[in-house]
Amino acid sequence: MGEQRQAMKDTPTTSPSSYCDYSNYSSGFPAHNEEEEAVYDFQAFVTQLKDPRADPILRYTRSFLTNFTTKRDLWTCDEQRKLVDDFKVFAFDKLRLYEPFKSLDSGRLKNAQEGIEKLIMGKLYNQCFSPSLKQRFNEKLDEGHNRDLLQDALLEEKRAEYRFIDPEFLEFPQPLSNRLQKFSQLAGKELSRVNEYKAPRDKMVCILNACRVLFGFLKHSGLANGGADEFVPVLVYTLLKSDVKNLVSNLNYIERFRFAEFLQGESSYYLSSVQGASNFVATLGRESLQITDPAGFEARYRENQEALEVERARIGTSNPTPEIKTDAADTPARTTSPGSVPSEYIRRPLDEATSAIISKFSELFASNGPTADMPQQIQDTSAAADEDAESTRLVQELQNQENKRVLRELHSMFPDMDEELIFDVCEAKKYRIGVCVDTLLTLSS
Amino acid sequence: MLQFKLVLLGDSSVGKSSIVHRFVKDSFDEFRESTIGAAFLSQTVKLGKHDDVTIKFEIWDTAGQERYKSLAPMYYRNANAALIVYDVTQPGSLLKAQSWVEELKHKVGDQDLVICLVGNKLDLCAEDPNARQVDIDDAQAYAQEKHLLFHEVSAKTGVGVAQIFQEMGEKVYEQKTAESAAAAASRPRKAVNVELQRPSTNDSTTCCA
Repeated sequence: MGEQRQAMKDTPTTSPSSYCDYSNYSSGFPAHNEEEEAVYDFQAFVTQLKDPRADPILRYTRSFLTNFTTKRDLWTCDEQRKLVDDFKVFAFDKLRLYEPFKSLDSGRLKNAQEGIEKLIMGKLYNQCFSPSLKQRFNEKLDEGHNRDLLQDALLEEKRAEYRFIDPEFLEFPQPLSNRLQKFSQLAGKELSRVNEYKAPRDKMVCILNACRVLFGFLKHSGLANGGADEFVPVLVYTLLKSDVKNLVSNLNYIERFRFAEFLQGESSYYLSSVQGASNFVATLGRESLQITDPAGFEARYRENQEALEVERARIGTSNPTPEIKTDAADTPARTTSPGSVPSEYIRRPLDEATSAIISKFSELFASNGPTADMPQQIQDTSAAADEDAESTRLVQELQNQENKRVLRELHSMFPDMDEELIFDVCEAKKYRIGVCVDTLLTLSS
Repeated sequence: MLQFKLVLLGDSSVGKSSIVHRFVKDSFDEFRESTIGAAFLSQTVKLGKHDDVTIKFEIWDTAGQERYKSLAPMYYRNANAALIVYDVTQPGSLLKAQSWVEELKHKVGDQDLVICLVGNKLDLCAEDPNARQVDIDDAQAYAQEKHLLFHEVSAKTGVGVAQIFQEMGEKVYEQKTAESAAAAASRPRKAVNVELQRPSTNDSTTCCA
């Protein structure tokens, strides 16, 4: 392989078929990842939960949620992690005891477990996601959650400081094609979507999507077997050029609240990679870059600093500077886009569907509960059936919006490609953007 | 199936990814669960020594460039095995490999971590006897002193590659079985102590103990 690597360095445009005899292995990415391919149907879970026989599960869940939210205002990160984890272990166990869950096959049972995780984390999101907590507690926020926010701020600050750098500064082992920009932009967008979801699994899928897009790029560049030597620099570059808010908070949230058994293998690898890359950016300095022209680098560095100052000044003096620690999280170091407040980014399309489903069935959580504050309980079965139809329609509508978004992204990625072809690929690949990119790349080459 | 995490370390030019690709490619079975990209691969190994038990390695690749060294702890935490690769034609790469050995011994501190030192690019020595820059005896002596497994291989021709994973598989498996026998005796609970009240159900089991 050493020889082949050398050959690739000399002729970066080598076509994929000739560069390596391992092409059999990863020439086509298999279409599934455990996170994406398994049965995942939250609505089905909610319907199961409405079954009267599931009442014990419902009561455990309600009791847990009530206790979590009322026993104390603010738990530490470790306490939260343990409480949520213990409840999941307990509840997953109970699923095996009560119908309709008891007789589900293992795939459907896993879906129910996912459902429980999504349900409770949807309900507890504002108590567990550091940027949301910040809104409620401000300076009184505990150390652990505050640390998330400080790291978010630090990352944004570094990103702004070094946003001008070229791929070469990050020591890619091979020359990269000029499409890197486009791919890393798309990967950055996918990564940004972590803020649109509350369930740890859904956030995780955004990360996997971003990584898949980057591997699509590596493959396109003739690096289908590219390992971490190629992937890590591309990932770091993507983080530097992207505008992902609250990245560290999101990564820590996934780590804390994704059930450990579900966060294994490939998912765990890519989560660790993004964590590693984000640490790298957060501690970035000249010594971690490959600088061949120090004078040129300094000139660009100064230029960027000046641009940053202008941007910061434009935002106005009302915002404290990032040096003031307690408010750092709300101060976008990169002031081109004002810091978004949690209420803005926690309610976005797909998760809104989840919230809608949960609230449509809020009677699930209200019936004979001591803290019931749901005024309109739905007793009538026909009304409940209407609710069912209504939420199905809502989910469908939001899914359509999401599909349109994927189509739009792909059109801009592949402007020369026939629209119908892109549509067909999307339909066939169920609008999973990473897989779609991969297929389209194969078709375009 | 028992799964083990294996982390891959070594300079960027030593061909560490190629060793794994060779291994995965030569293992003709269905267990190719890498779906996203080539930095994470998984592969099963059948252990002839242990009644043909099948185990699975989850192989975590790391970036070999010196500037990304600080990312390594994210990858090697909780690893069961580490494959540290150098290039037999580059003496500097052995030094780097040795520094990985030291780091793992210090930072992981897990007596059970199985480490295998691997010299790659044996094929270059076959082509040109003068290509070899790292004496096999020196590397082997070092491996012995540090209690590491040791192999010289060629990812290009495949020589020696399967043996690495076979031997590491056996070793992690033996340690795991010994360990679980010991753990069966006493299983300590985690330290954080938070308790919520028992839920208002008639079930006798507590919810959050």
